[in-house]
Amino acid sequence: MSIFVDRDTRVLVQGITGNEGSFWTKHMIDLGTNVVGGVTPGKEGQRVEDRPVYHSVRRAVKEHKVDAAMLFVPPRFTMDAVLEALESGIRKVVTIADGIPLHEMVKIREASQYHQAMVVGGNTSGIITPGRAMLGMFPHWIERVYKSGSIGVMTRSGSLTNEVTAMVVASGFGVSTLVGVGGDPVPGTRFAELLPLYQEDEQTEAVVIIGELGGTMEEEVADMMSSKAFTKPLVAFLGGRTAPEGKRMGHAGAIISGGKGSVQSKIEALEAAGGMVASRPSEVGLLLKEVVKGGGK
Amino acid sequence: MRLFEYQAKEIFREEGIVTPEGILTSSAEETAAAADALGYPCVLKSQVLMGGRGKKGLIPFIQERKKALSEASRLFEGQWAVPRILVEEAVDIERELYLSISVDPERAKGIILVSAQGGVEIESLAQDDASKIHTEYFSLTSGLQSFQITDLSYRITIDAQLVKQFRSIVKALYVIFTRYDAELVEINPLFITKQGALVAGDGKLMIDENSMERQKRFVRTREFYESDMEFEAAQAGIPYLQFDGDISLMCAGAGLTTTVYDLINYEGGRVANYLEFGGPNYRKAYEAMELCLRNDSKVILIVTFGTIARADIMAQGIVDAAKALKPDRPIVTCIRGTGEAEAVKILREAGLEPLFDTEEAVKAAVRLSKEIG
Repeated sequence: MSIFVDRDTRVLVQGITGNEGSFWTKHMIDLGTNVVGGVTPGKEGQRVEDRPVYHSVRRAVKEHKVDAAMLFVPPRFTMDAVLEALESGIRKVVTIADGIPLHEMVKIREASQYHQAMVVGGNTSGIITPGRAMLGMFPHWIERVYKSGSIGVMTRSGSLTNEVTAMVVASGFGVSTLVGVGGDPVPGTRFAELLPLYQEDEQTEAVVIIGELGGTMEEEVADMMSSKAFTKPLVAFLGGRTAPEGKRMGHAGAIISGGKGSVQSKIEALEAAGGMVASRPSEVGLLLKEVVKGGGK
Repeated sequence: MRLFEYQAKEIFREEGIVTPEGILTSSAEETAAAADALGYPCVLKSQVLMGGRGKKGLIPFIQERKKALSEASRLFEGQWAVPRILVEEAVDIERELYLSISVDPERAKGIILVSAQGGVEIESLAQDDASKIHTEYFSLTSGLQSFQITDLSYRITIDAQLVKQFRSIVKALYVIFTRYDAELVEINPLFITKQGALVAGDGKLMIDENSMERQKRFVRTREFYESDMEFEAAQAGIPYLQFDGDISLMCAGAGLTTTVYDLINYEGGRVANYLEFGGPNYRKAYEAMELCLRNDSKVILIVTFGTIARADIMAQGIVDAAKALKPDRPIVTCIRGTGEAEAVKILREAGLEPLFDTEEAVKAAVRLSKEIG
């Protein structure tokens, strides 16, 4: 098993005829993702990777059963595309767009809650279940990072994910499903909202979260652990321990302001809830070995 | 993008929020003339973006012309080198409130915060006594409703005749919040004057970075940045932060760069600059290295783990940049990911011995930075 996406997930690609859309659709299919079709207004009748293209999501869902929408749509059109997917009955949406306006992201999350859906992103590479399927843009052929196994990974950062996941794999583990929630201040889906899926998933023995300064997502994870809504072992790596207050460290969401969002407070919350926090990427694998029996095999 | 106080107040006035009479100046003579025109006492408010202006002595209270001249000279020419001063009339203050509108990411709602105890940092107030803060959440989809403002007005204890004014200020602030794609719009303090008027004592407006494409009213000129380098990097589209250590970072991705920053601090090294090279900037090796070289650093540390951004293209960019710029300091590289084998070849041919482990690369850079002394 896995969470969110597997080989039986029927995927519609919005923005499938664009450069990014067509390129990554090919790689999603190569990995084994069940892409049933795509959408680009004005391009109905064309085919991409032998999949049919439709003018709109409404027209596509008349012809196909769709479980998830994968968006390769520019930031300023993302809200419209997400609402189109939700309105057409699709309950899983992933958007990679980097630069979605804040107020639109809030509206997307409101709509997602209203429809009881899950919108993951923006500012992320997406979601991958190594060896089986993906929604997004991962070079899944890099075995050093994208190896199948028993560790669930949730992350706010793409570049750091490669660094940390490579350490997880080097320690003899693999990944069940990796979810990039993205680096924006208002992600469509938060860490704590994914935990119940990992809790349910039989393949997942432990979860690694790759967080950073800013916001409260890591503290919410600690709350889930304290309330026993999540009971599997959890190891965190958090970037920005030594970051000064008031400076935005790259991501829009990565800032300590008014004394809130420091990595220290996140570490305290996670450790108090029974989580383990690695101080360096290389420690993540070592800590996993302590908490997962049989090295994850 | 955070606006200066005078810009925020300009927007406030356009929406009908009253601010103290004020004149913007950029020299000591202009400041004295403005103070004369407004009358004494008055206040010189330094137009800088840092917080805690009062504690830093950047908002002196002025009783007479001579003092206006000397204090303005100190602010313009002293260590803070403030670009502008907003000279404002002094207000007869009865009480101070706090009012802001921002976003609650977890609930996915707009949030209004009001406190009958203004003037202080809302965060410290929240820690001392959270019951003194009134909150109202609203949907960004359906908007702030009139009944919510009504209810909020009666939750804070203000005189009945002030309620109407308060309501219109909340409404105006909400219009500003939506029209300017605000991350935060804040009035702290919001004065209740002895004459029974509500006046915005300060103004803070932060516009969402992701909305800048459609918020064209304000242009980010040099004064919005702390240093020339940060300004120039922003012009080139390269994320950059200035520090004052020995090691220039040229790393890929926000999360990895921040982590390398941490690792350097753990090892007892000091970062000269944070620079993101990679992602959409992975072809900007020349610009990135040029920025690093303008720092008084001793080592350049390049760490990447690219998957979409190709390692070999980055390596070629670095080698070309090094040939053109002839760096006068060592470069430590740790470039991994797609195209790694080719990248290693390119670096070795150019005489750069690549490392493959981030922590090892950090240690090497810190060691070099100390050896060079």
